[in-house]
Amino acid sequence: MSLEVKNITKTFTTSSGDVTVLKDVSFTISNGEFVSIIGKSGSGKSTLLSILGALDSPTSGSIVVDDANIEKLKGHEQTKYRAKKIGFVFQQYNLVPNLTALENVVLALEFGGYPAASRVDRATALLAAVGIEDDQLTRRPSRLSGGQQQRVSIARALANEPAYILADEPTGNLDSVTGKKIFSLLHDLSRKQNTTIVVVTHDLDIAGKTDKTFTLVDGKITTKTRS
Amino acid sequence: MNALTRGVKNTLRSPVRSGAIILMFAISIALIVSMLVARSSVLAKINEVKSTAGTNITIRPAGTMGGMGGGDPLTAAQLNTITSTSHISSTIMTLTDQLSSDNTNLTSSLEFGGFGRAQRETTNSSSESSTSENKSTETPRTPGITITGTTDVNSASTDGSSLSISSGKTIDASGSDTVALVGTDLATKNNLSVGSTFTAYSKTFTVSGIYNTGNRFTDSGIIMPLKTLQTITDQAGVVSSVVAKVDSSDNVAATVASLKSSLGSAADITSEIERAESSVSSLQGIASLAMTGVIAAAVAGAAIVLLAMIMVVRERRKEIGVMKAIGGTDGKVVGQFIIEGLTLTVFGAVIGMVLGILVSGPMTTSLVSSQNTSSTNRTSQQLSGVRTSTNSSEAPGANFIRGGFNQIRDNASQVTASLTPNILLIAAGVTIFIALIGTAIPAWLTARVRPAEVLRTE
Ligand SMILES: Nc1ncnc2c1ncn2[C@@H]1O[C@H](COP(=O)(O)OP(=O)(O)OP(=O)(O)O)[C@@H](O)[C@H]1O
Ligand SMILES: [Mg+2]
Repeated sequence: MSLEVKNITKTFTTSSGDVTVLKDVSFTISNGEFVSIIGKSGSGKSTLLSILGALDSPTSGSIVVDDANIEKLKGHEQTKYRAKKIGFVFQQYNLVPNLTALENVVLALEFGGYPAASRVDRATALLAAVGIEDDQLTRRPSRLSGGQQQRVSIARALANEPAYILADEPTGNLDSVTGKKIFSLLHDLSRKQNTTIVVVTHDLDIAGKTDKTFTLVDGKITTKTRS
Repeated sequence: MNALTRGVKNTLRSPVRSGAIILMFAISIALIVSMLVARSSVLAKINEVKSTAGTNITIRPAGTMGGMGGGDPLTAAQLNTITSTSHISSTIMTLTDQLSSDNTNLTSSLEFGGFGRAQRETTNSSSESSTSENKSTETPRTPGITITGTTDVNSASTDGSSLSISSGKTIDASGSDTVALVGTDLATKNNLSVGSTFTAYSKTFTVSGIYNTGNRFTDSGIIMPLKTLQTITDQAGVVSSVVAKVDSSDNVAATVASLKSSLGSAADITSEIERAESSVSSLQGIASLAMTGVIAAAVAGAAIVLLAMIMVVRERRKEIGVMKAIGGTDGKVVGQFIIEGLTLTVFGAVIGMVLGILVSGPMTTSLVSSQNTSSTNRTSQQLSGVRTSTNSSEAPGANFIRGGFNQIRDNASQVTASLTPNILLIAAGVTIFIALIGTAIPAWLTARVRPAEVLRTE
């Protein structure tokens, strides 16, 4: 059981020509590992994460997750993969604007096939774990701060107990205290529930506490493993 | 929480935009309903007028104006042609004549109208300087008295029902006795009662009965058997108008055509059905106008929902991408947007139907009355034209014409808006059609949004 990236290339075709963001990237992440991806802005961190999460497909290469070739799955199988196996924390939070904090988490539970009767209870508990409580539950994203939206987004990613959490700058908008709380929450998940966690971060302190760090430079990756 | 409640909630959570879409859509549904109501009411009236039109055909010598004379009377040979035409089950023949004071001892109960008086005044002022005093002393010239010789006295009644005899009894119109029915005005003027006698063309007539139609001109006339009038005026076999009854309404058109070809230009032939049709032709115009309105409103309604939904989907591409990125299936995401579209449509349709039912009454009335002002004006002009152009009383034919024109006015005023279950069904059908168009295309657009859309920053 692992996540294996083999010779991934990603080229975006734009009006001003082709841009190759990822060049022949390969690496392996074992089950329950906590890894970080660092790199300059625009180096392709979010692009790599979205390919791992089957939000986008690579131009060439393959991603094998638990023995399945993700990029070769049919549309509805990819949807199922995203719903059940992946918890995605977006850099821009991407909450559904018309839904309250609670409803956003309930929505993910619905998509993951969680029993309807206990969705609200579970969503409330998940939000409490990231510090969203009381009247914040019934607020829509436009009436939550950036940090609060980020925490709702994390709760939503955890909703279906995914085997893989892909988090794009999950602590980028949080103060250091809250950031540390979120980080230890993710750390616990990897240690106690054997969840594989991939975080994109600018914070070298955080990166230093992960099992492995991938650094993206000019579309190529270098790996640093800690023991 | 599921796609249904999310879809409904989403429409309610942007009340201004949803409200605007619902209102626009409701207005087009209201237009559809009211136009359908107007159309079906008008069609119902048209059918009613057509079905109640009798099967009578009126044949007059060519060039006559409302039976006022002019043109050569119909000859015995022409009458033979008419009676031997197939499908004609019975005929009523009429001859009219004007009795002048040389030919009778009776005095007309009519006086000249404004036109006649004005003419007299100009004549007078040229012969002697007229003052207001000598105007009052002048003896009024007496107009003629109209005699109608007929094979059916009821043909003289104004409205097609039987002639009302206020005293005495009716005459045998098929005979040739010197008996007559006298109009109530003429009887009063000349102190005639049942059993009284008067002279016409040197023959002595006995008053058999007094009739009363309520029409001043008709009630100043005399009705006698056709043969009697033909004999005393030396016009054996001559007739000035024939009303032929056709055995069934299906044969009227064919019979009119066959009479036209056999009588040629010698006769004017009109049927009640033709008259009914021309009287409802403006209504027919309204019906097709209303149908155009229905189609236009349906197209507008469909366009509103379609554009609104396309706008909604475009605006929310990112949100759609998010739902797909966190594992929402196409079915769930598309379903939610279909429900949003349907929610708008249902609200719009319900409001629109209520609005449509409320405005359909006034709408029908205003459509019908604006279309009919022109024909009503024409009617009264023609009527006054008839009156002023003759120095004699109106003949029964004129009554008949007036009856026809009154009919037109009545047709228009009697169109009442009626909402039938059928209309609601059609309106519901149109609404469903619009809802399908308004959701299917946005749904297709929604399905095509890729989850990578979520990464776009706007
Ligand atoms: N859909 C796209 N079309 C064209 N170019 C794209 C697209 N998505 C990303 N890029 C480009 O690919 C490069 C990598 O983008 P990406 O978002 O992965 O960077 P990043 O490392 O996450 O940066 P940041 O730290 O600022 O979030 C950038 O130059 C970006 O402009
Ligand atoms: Mg990024």
